[in-house]
Amino acid sequence: MKKSARILVFSTEKISDPAVDMAGLLKLHYPPTVYTITVPCSSGIKPGWILHAYERGFDGVFIAADGSDCVYGESCTEKTGNLVADTHERMKARSLDPARLRMAAICSVCSEAFVKQIRSFNEYLIKTTNA
Amino acid sequence: MNEEKKIIRYDALVVGGGIAGGEAALNLANSGYRVLLVEKQRSLGGKMILLSKVFPTLDCSACITTPKVSEIARHRNITIFTESEVTGIVKRSENNFVAQITKKPRYVHVEDCTACQLCEQACPVSVRDEYQYGLIGRKAAFIPFSIANPKAAAIDIENCTLCGACEKVCPTQCIDFTMEPEQYELHARTVVIATGFKLFDPLEIPRYGYGQYKNVITSMQMEREIAPTRPFNTILRPGDGKVPDKIAYILCAGSRDASVGNPICSQICCMYSIKQAQLLMGALPMADVTIYYINIRSFGKGFEEFYQQAKGMGVTFVKGKVGTIKEKENGNLILRYEDIGEGVVKEAEHDMVVLSVGVKSNPDAGKIFPQGTLKLDPHRFVTQTDLMGSPARTSIDGVFVAGTAAAPMDIPDSILSAGSASSEAISYIIQHQEA
Amino acid sequence: MKERIGVYICHCGGNISDYVDVEKVRQAVEHEKGVALAKTTLFACSDANQNDMVEDIRTHNLDGVIVASCSPKLHLTTFRNVTERGELNKYTYVHTNIREQASWAHSNDKEGATDKAIRLVKAAIAKSRFAEPLYPNLFEAEKTIAVIGAGIAGMKAAAALADKQTEVLLIEKEHRVGGHTATWGTLAMTEESGSTLTERIYHDLLRRENVTIMTGTEVISSKGSIGNFTLKVRKRPTKDGDPVETAEFTVGSVVVATGFDSYQPKEGELGFAQSDNVITLPEFRHLIDRAEGKELVYNGRKIRHIAYIYCVGSRQTNGENTYCSRFCCTSAIHASILVKKKFAKINNYHLNRGIRTYGKQELLYAESLAMGDLYLQWGEETPPAVVMEGKGATITLRDILSSNRELELEADLVVLVTGMVPRADNSVGTLFKLPRGRDRFFNEVHMKLRPVETVIDGVTIAGSCQGPKNITESVNSALSAATKSFSLISKGTLETEPIVAEVNSDICSWCGKCAEACPFDAILQKEVGGKTVAMVNNSVCKGCGMCAPVCPPDAINLINYSSEEIMSMIDALA
Repeated sequence: MKKSARILVFSTEKISDPAVDMAGLLKLHYPPTVYTITVPCSSGIKPGWILHAYERGFDGVFIAADGSDCVYGESCTEKTGNLVADTHERMKARSLDPARLRMAAICSVCSEAFVKQIRSFNEYLIKTTNA
Repeated sequence: MNEEKKIIRYDALVVGGGIAGGEAALNLANSGYRVLLVEKQRSLGGKMILLSKVFPTLDCSACITTPKVSEIARHRNITIFTESEVTGIVKRSENNFVAQITKKPRYVHVEDCTACQLCEQACPVSVRDEYQYGLIGRKAAFIPFSIANPKAAAIDIENCTLCGACEKVCPTQCIDFTMEPEQYELHARTVVIATGFKLFDPLEIPRYGYGQYKNVITSMQMEREIAPTRPFNTILRPGDGKVPDKIAYILCAGSRDASVGNPICSQICCMYSIKQAQLLMGALPMADVTIYYINIRSFGKGFEEFYQQAKGMGVTFVKGKVGTIKEKENGNLILRYEDIGEGVVKEAEHDMVVLSVGVKSNPDAGKIFPQGTLKLDPHRFVTQTDLMGSPARTSIDGVFVAGTAAAPMDIPDSILSAGSASSEAISYIIQHQEA
Repeated sequence: MKERIGVYICHCGGNISDYVDVEKVRQAVEHEKGVALAKTTLFACSDANQNDMVEDIRTHNLDGVIVASCSPKLHLTTFRNVTERGELNKYTYVHTNIREQASWAHSNDKEGATDKAIRLVKAAIAKSRFAEPLYPNLFEAEKTIAVIGAGIAGMKAAAALADKQTEVLLIEKEHRVGGHTATWGTLAMTEESGSTLTERIYHDLLRRENVTIMTGTEVISSKGSIGNFTLKVRKRPTKDGDPVETAEFTVGSVVVATGFDSYQPKEGELGFAQSDNVITLPEFRHLIDRAEGKELVYNGRKIRHIAYIYCVGSRQTNGENTYCSRFCCTSAIHASILVKKKFAKINNYHLNRGIRTYGKQELLYAESLAMGDLYLQWGEETPPAVVMEGKGATITLRDILSSNRELELEADLVVLVTGMVPRADNSVGTLFKLPRGRDRFFNEVHMKLRPVETVIDGVTIAGSCQGPKNITESVNSALSAATKSFSLISKGTLETEPIVAEVNSDICSWCGKCAEACPFDAILQKEVGGKTVAMVNNSVCKGCGMCAPVCPPDAINLINYSSEEIMSMIDALA
């Protein structure tokens, strides 16, 4: 069985990146097969990118969303939600388990929440992708 | 001595190139003012550049200091004099402070030196390395330390035998024994004093055996042992080179102690000791670290959490005052202390003891101005004449104090204090423009 | 496409190289397509390495630069500047974080950390190949600065800005200025009274023509960003029947100085609100400031024995305030000295958790001990218990200083030494989207590098809204914030980030979805070659990218975050 799943994280420059960085600073370990790509805002992620990640062998994609802290305005939460829903639909059409895409709001100091999310996602992915 | 005195003019004079002076100089320079930054040592960066990591984030100190120092060194509005001393500043008028500055010869032309270290290898003289706090030796022709700025060789003329070996090997011929001190007369519109602090000298407490027992070291020596630019590649006790596994910290060594003339709290020792303890636990996972304290003063942002984290990692905290230290034949040390929790006197054996030495004022601050014009407090820190309304103000209008020249403080507070001093200095310049 | 990229992999003096095999990373990427040179360096940020990089850009004719080191929050700007000194456009620089996100996050797995670092650097190379020179737009910045909150920090920030010949709007929610400080009597260390101190600063402000003080005024909305914030304020009527006035101001930068709340103990917490013999530290200070006569009288009762219980609302093990409030030990001891000097018969008992009179404040502690005050110390597991009995209170605790013996103590008055908590009213924080730290106070970008800046460009934080501080510390922080806000906009022109959305008008066939998604109204309709397409107004676009995923034909990309770039990064990471 695989020790850790390959997870692509989309994280945001001003909100969730600081939390991911702080997780490192506090040495809150998580699997080293988790990679972060930084974007300005979680509502700017294209579903096509997420699908591309699965094609390239990623087991899961995690969106560390801005939530209500987004510096670009309130609508971020709803828009991020919409693009996740849209991607879920497209995943179903390709017979991909929609649970392989997760999203959670990660505030700028939510490093523990981030690591907890990643660890549980990792467990889920190890269980399901090897089953 | 070169008799010719050069007259130079700047908007601001900043005395001291540590983190506070550097920050103040940068703020002034970024607001468009021309700054002369004068540093006594051979490198900028003060004590901070020599630290390992900083609390409570455990960022590496060099990672913060080196780019900052580099920005200062490169700033077009800042001129730096290292190995220089400021004496006798006279206030001629509201916007004319006249300072005498002596620039000592480095005996190396910095702009031509490539820091190749050939002179260091050739030099036959070995002396105590002050930048490694005496843990190792250095040559008389040497680069102060690997991240020094300027990074260039210097000749320690006091220990140099003038054998000429360095001159012969230098590929750029930048060593020049004919250099002489240079005298400057500076005219500036405002002055920032950022002369920093001195570490308490533990020889003043003979019962702790510093200087007598080899395995009793100061916290600054430990700082060097765990710094990225450390002298050894691991943590060793100086007596026999053994890797220690039972380390004790003695807090308030020279602080809160009227018997050594320093009744005040140094503000930083609790936290740096907790930091070092955490780093030691990381570097030597099998080691026991015990901190003997009176009160733990983890008062800043994130500090209390950092203290709790250290407890969680297994650092032992003993509330107790250490009376005496005795050395055993194997170099181990017996600490006799009062365990306050149990109300009894106990003994404990450690193989290395770190004295968490405190912050003392730097007497240099008082020497810059003619006797008594710059007021000092009873602890000989620069008096803050309006502590709450205008903390950077001193007894001389137009002269401001930044960082630990005013009082013990940690790095974040020093930086804010420097921000405050530079703000006042900028305001002062604007308010006292020539008509 | 970049063909001559220079890659620098930092040891960070061990912070990276202790866990990541940096030489292995170098070897793994040196032959990647487009890489002209790959080096490791002890400290990438050191002056010597910066000079080497500039030299390399010239001698190796580099067209792109990558540094793999710490978080971009620390040194992205440092290396962009290095790139510029090498006469390359600074936006051709790509940063990748192999410290917080590799060496430290995976310090338990060297192989894993090294493998991750290799992939992160390869992804950076993929991104670097696309990185084109970009040119920021210059725009005029408004030179007025708003200071929100007229406590000691806000007032001092306003004065410092006014000194620098800047127009200042000082906005205060209350109908009076001075904040907490104005309500305090004699202060520790200077023996000046809080109200005298705030009054002298207030009078200094009043004589300045370039400071507008607005009391009873709240900021209700903020639009725009650094250089041009439009603040809408509402003036509360001072008496019933007065109209509510609103006004709008444009400012270039904002100093937030909204202060703190005093911790309010819960009902029953150490007897609070169960008896009027239990009061908070601010209430006690108020009491002794006004007390006269030979005896201290409270609620008609003579007070002889006062028990001070420290760390109420601070250093909580079961609550959310895990931090130390730093000012309260000194403040309580100072108050106890004052009361004893006024009323010689008073006995003070300090039930503390380790006294933290740091720095010169230690002398107050020494003075209090010399006056004969009694200090008892309790541990976090065994807090004191307060039982109200008749006219007084009985307090039991285990005293660490007397071998953990259980002691009983009777007091006429119990003073809860309450700490600082973040403002319950976080409306200003919400308005500017200021992130808060784990202690829920506003968070600075970096405690040592950028201590008064927030992630919101142009908004600085001053005083105790960033964390507990005494007055001196608040003023230092306020002057630092003022200087920072001033230097951000004093030049009068600012650059906008050139990272904006781009429309491929060949594919676009105007459906309006992007314009709908844009929160800044930056997308307009335009006629190109007879068809209607979307056009991005670069000076309004903030580069969030919200328009990109909603475009049905995928005709919009954010510069630097195009599908091509992101997908090639994904390829490199996979």
